Amino acid sequence: MKKPLWKSGLLGLCAWGLFGSGALFAQSDPTGQKPITQTYAFTNATVYASPGSEGQKATIVVKDGVIISVGSGVTIPAVAKVIAGDSLYIYPGFIDAASQAGITKPEDPERPSDFVSSNPPDEIAGITPWRSATDQFDISSSQVDDLRKAGFTMAHVLPDGGMIAGKGAIMVLGTKGSTNLIKSNTALAASLNGSRGMYPGTTVGVMAKFRDVYKNTDLTQDRIATFTSNSGVTRPEINQTYSAMTEVVNGQIPVFFEVENDLEVRRAISLQKELGFKLVIYGLEQYDEVIDLLKSSGAGVILKLEIPDDKAIKNQKDDVDEAVQAQYYRVKESYDRTIAQAGKLAEAGVAFAFSTIDAKPSDAIKSLRAMIEAGLTESAAMAALTTNAASMIGMNRIAGTVEQGKLANLVITTGPIFSEDSQIKHVVADGSIFDYEIKTKKKNGNGEATVEVAGTWDYTSETPAGSSGGKLTIEKDGNDYSGTITYDDPSGNGTANSPISDVSVSGSQLSFSFDVSAGGMAISVSVSGEISGNTMDGSMNIAQFGSFPISATRNPNFISNN
Amino acid sequence: MKKINILLALCLSLCLSFSWAQTPKGSVLIKNGTVLTVTNGTYENTDVLIQDGVIKKIGKDLNAPSGVTTVDATGKYVMPGIIDAHSHVALDVVNEATAPIVAEVRMKDVVNPYEIGIYRALAGGVTISHAMHGSANVVGGQNATLKHRWGSSNPEDIIMQDAPRTIKFALGENPTRVHGRGNGIQPRSRMGVEAILRNGFNEALQYKKAWEDFNKAKSQKGSTAVAPEYNERLQTLVDILDGKIIIHCHSYRADEIYMLINVARDFGIDKLVFQHTNEGFKVAPEIAEYTMGASVFADWWAYKFEVYYSTAFNAAILHRNGAITSINSDSAELIRHLYHEAAKTQRYGNLSDDEALSMITINPARQLGIDDKVGSLEEGKHGDVAIFEGHPLSSYAIPQMTFVDGIKYFDINEDQDDQRQQVSPIETVEPILLTEHNHRCMQDTEHLFETASALFQMNQ
Repeated sequence: MKKPLWKSGLLGLCAWGLFGSGALFAQSDPTGQKPITQTYAFTNATVYASPGSEGQKATIVVKDGVIISVGSGVTIPAVAKVIAGDSLYIYPGFIDAASQAGITKPEDPERPSDFVSSNPPDEIAGITPWRSATDQFDISSSQVDDLRKAGFTMAHVLPDGGMIAGKGAIMVLGTKGSTNLIKSNTALAASLNGSRGMYPGTTVGVMAKFRDVYKNTDLTQDRIATFTSNSGVTRPEINQTYSAMTEVVNGQIPVFFEVENDLEVRRAISLQKELGFKLVIYGLEQYDEVIDLLKSSGAGVILKLEIPDDKAIKNQKDDVDEAVQAQYYRVKESYDRTIAQAGKLAEAGVAFAFSTIDAKPSDAIKSLRAMIEAGLTESAAMAALTTNAASMIGMNRIAGTVEQGKLANLVITTGPIFSEDSQIKHVVADGSIFDYEIKTKKKNGNGEATVEVAGTWDYTSETPAGSSGGKLTIEKDGNDYSGTITYDDPSGNGTANSPISDVSVSGSQLSFSFDVSAGGMAISVSVSGEISGNTMDGSMNIAQFGSFPISATRNPNFISNN
Repeated sequence: MKKINILLALCLSLCLSFSWAQTPKGSVLIKNGTVLTVTNGTYENTDVLIQDGVIKKIGKDLNAPSGVTTVDATGKYVMPGIIDAHSHVALDVVNEATAPIVAEVRMKDVVNPYEIGIYRALAGGVTISHAMHGSANVVGGQNATLKHRWGSSNPEDIIMQDAPRTIKFALGENPTRVHGRGNGIQPRSRMGVEAILRNGFNEALQYKKAWEDFNKAKSQKGSTAVAPEYNERLQTLVDILDGKIIIHCHSYRADEIYMLINVARDFGIDKLVFQHTNEGFKVAPEIAEYTMGASVFADWWAYKFEVYYSTAFNAAILHRNGAITSINSDSAELIRHLYHEAAKTQRYGNLSDDEALSMITINPARQLGIDDKVGSLEEGKHGDVAIFEGHPLSSYAIPQMTFVDGIKYFDINEDQDDQRQQVSPIETVEPILLTEHNHRCMQDTEHLFETASALFQMNQ
């Protein structure tokens, strides 16, 4: 998908001009949040202007959300806040080509009294092409913070919903108080997911219904055309589904189809071949078998930015018989094959991008490192994060590289981005700077003592659902730790508990994870925090929901005091 | 430069069309076996030559053309690949259970070529299965006829592209339970099932007429005719009325079987096969006269009220009355030994070897509309062959090799412990289910009973 899908970026620019960061705060700002200047200079940093280019020492000046100069001898305006970049590395801000960060699914409408599950209204059956991600997006969501912290400065957000969820929008991940909207009505988000307990309930039903909606949109357009230019014609029935599908049928916007594996890729492509819409497939996890098809289909390709969990491999035991060993081997082989897919896809010449939907942004770089180790080139990885994504969503005119005139979206790191020790120090999004704490590696056994974490802790956490808490018990077992955590039972009243795993203590840092079972689904939660005496402060990351603050205090252990 | 591009494009398109249109075809000479042709008798010490996927010659002392491998079948039995007229193997979804008529859904959309059940079926000599929609709806989805070309990752490769279209219908307790009791809509009774069918076909006739009228009006000069709503559900029913689709109808009781025969006759439909048909023996002459027969279980019944009046003589009675009769599995387990199931017609009904074997070869082929291509060992038919140690109708029979289009997809001597095509990267050992779910007919419908079971509990 080399050609930009949306030629008209003008609209986007207009929107950006209106809501640009300059207009964010009034002249008089009693909150004290208004930055002193909207002009920044990053001096003498190592700049990687585009994927595959060599790093070059340069100074970047950004003003009012735009890069105004990049180079070695640039003039720094007096108004600029100067940030010494001598030891820093600067990359173009990452772009999430299919995101649901900050998106909240609207409540399902109430079922009408004459509801029949075999013929439900479109809105209840997950057919809502008229909905827009702009109505579901909240810049102040912690998911957006997490995404930005991982280096993403722009996101193509898709609405949450059923088989036809609605229209996407492009957001810059700037400051709160702005809509951050660059372009709305970018694409139609679709999936093969059926509606529970009503038609269409399964993938076969969804595919049939998609054909039905598509063909009837086409016919409705014809009817409207005949009606508008003639008399004596029966009024065509115009409904919001067909009206909102018109741009898709006319090829003005693409369908972003959510797929997971090769069979679903084939299903989406077969629908595309049959009906003829523009297709971008996103969320791919298993696609090794269809790399040639992905290439020949001409569809846009967006991979899920995640590598598989390696628990199954780590848990493999040594003392097993040959038959089990053979099975172990196949799991390992499958794992290696999965990680190597991205490299193979790039080598085949498919210019793919990434999606963070259902992935943890904080693991993005870790996942990319694994893919790079398995054969993906660093420049292909960077292209997927920047230029490919920009082209796919029609934003390559204003984003994707560090160039004069492009949006001031930058990732600033302490080392070459894919190297092991590199950390993100600043992210510039929409011309605003976001600073992140740099963790100095604490060396074990080198003067720094490891803190004692065993004991019973009372913790509280703040989530959008309110404040909640429970007990955390950690026991030391040789050199390892084990324990349990209690929490409010998500399925109703009372508390539930789970064992904690992956407990690691490094210096004064404690981290562990646990699984919460909610409605038959296991949600994995990871916690990390800094311990000081008998208190801990840190964050709790709930997969797909974002991270939230957590704090804990240790109960005094009276018995050990004896 | 341009020339090179054109050449490249040509080459690419050739390669592409090749990979789309062509499924693998092989050549093999099977020597000196006991050849059970099913349709033309049995020949001892006879050879079968398959070339490019087609049976070229059946005879004695054939020579292998150069490059064609020879398989020694001395002392073994060579029979046509077994055909299962009722299966749900290799489908990611079985039931779109949400409406009484879902004729628009296509099982071809959800074929999964990785399912291990395909290989297991091959290991039982089965080369073709009829991957059916479930029985939750009066009119279910359109089925897929599969050729077990194990090893391909492309669903298109295992779909038998030249097989005619077929569709699932269902009568009796399943559709009335799902829609009537589960959802409070028609059909709630067998009368409702008939009403759904008659209304559906009448609507289809109106739909057909609306489009015919529109197309006629549109061809007039200056026409301002507008197209009717597109409806693939009704269009599929129209295709049934036009004889383009074979109905395969889940049924048990004689009264409902006779009902559908009458509905079909009223609407001029003659492409109709009954599935399960446990009470078929009561209406065998009618089935023989008006339909393409029945596909039955050998001896499986009493799993719900409507399936109690049953007999193991069912297949033999239907057959003796002249109905085309086949024996199917409807099960990922039974599909592995359909030859045993066929043999039961000899214990219960004294059928001859050829008659018993026809129940799992040429008869299901006729019911699927593919008997001109497969179902017997005849020159010109597809090279779908199973080789057995011991006569396939013997209790001691062991399948040895299975060929589809002359390609060997199963060989007992090359069978590995782990034949999975795909392995999950995140699961150490995938669970081995000791209790096989035999009935998949009602898969994906569980949620529809939530209301009913909640009501039940409330009133307890």
